[in-house]
Amino acid sequence: MREFWRGLLATLPLAPGVVAFGLLYGVMARQVGFSPWEAWAMSLIVHAGSAQFTALGMWQVANAIPIILTTLVINLRHMLMGASVAPYLRGLSPLWKALLALWMSDESYALAIAEYERGHGSHRYFLGANVGIYLTWPTSGLVGALLGAAIPDPSRYGLDLVFPLAFLGLLTAFLKDRIGIAVAIVAGGLALLGTFLLPGKWAIIVAGLLGSVLGLLLEEAHKAWRKS
Amino acid sequence: MEKIVIFFGMALATYFTRYTMIAALGRELPPLLRRWLRYVPPAVLAALVVPAALAPQGRLEPGTHAWAVLAGVIVAWRTRSVLWTILGGMAAFWLLRLLGI
Repeated sequence: MREFWRGLLATLPLAPGVVAFGLLYGVMARQVGFSPWEAWAMSLIVHAGSAQFTALGMWQVANAIPIILTTLVINLRHMLMGASVAPYLRGLSPLWKALLALWMSDESYALAIAEYERGHGSHRYFLGANVGIYLTWPTSGLVGALLGAAIPDPSRYGLDLVFPLAFLGLLTAFLKDRIGIAVAIVAGGLALLGTFLLPGKWAIIVAGLLGSVLGLLLEEAHKAWRKS
Repeated sequence: MEKIVIFFGMALATYFTRYTMIAALGRELPPLLRRWLRYVPPAVLAALVVPAALAPQGRLEPGTHAWAVLAGVIVAWRTRSVLWTILGGMAAFWLLRLLGI
């Protein structure tokens, strides 16, 4: 129980970011014709912020299949995240794995994987982080939809910086040697380049894949060099 | 009613991406694969940070956001704390806004 609460509390610093985008989501949902309850239901059922914003943008011009396929593509980055956290979940029951996958967001994944890397991680901490974001995201969406008034752009108040800054704080757990630092710099650069060249969230997937392969190659090269 | 069906379709698509790898890689893995996976988090996390700092609206325009994240880098490096990194970065953002930069 203690670990669960620790994970839940770890999401608190991210709450301003979740709320800012949750409110904005609620307002946008009303603008495309959702009732507040439908806006709430979408967040409760789907719980994937970027995909939900994209779906709202398509809502009036697309039908079910393209919306669902787009959701799949936007969320493909979670396969990479799921793969990297999988080794830590190895001993868990299938039920636990299924439960942890249910509300895994970028934010709760980042909190959990950094905690594992520091040696203090656990599935209960991971679940706590998942639940922390899940409590905030649908609620703020409902509030935004009920208020319905124009919510200002989060970037004006720098609230779009909350998640990147949190990821930055968590990134430090992985910068223990020069290889880790090189991976982060190269992946960051590739992601920036990818933002201009690739649609959706492909930049994160490509940068995540290439950056991590580079890490493995550097490790191999380092080993070979030490042997010689 | 039709909306709810689409929501569940979206949820299923989302769940597929989150669950597949956790299920597929949930056993003893070859050492090479395991070593590769350890570099995925720093790559993914950096990929989430850099574009948000230098191209917050999808265009390359290093401005207040970039300076705020740079302040965040210093705080993160010194404290390794999520809370302090957020507070430091946001404080820098607001300071720059107030100074009109």
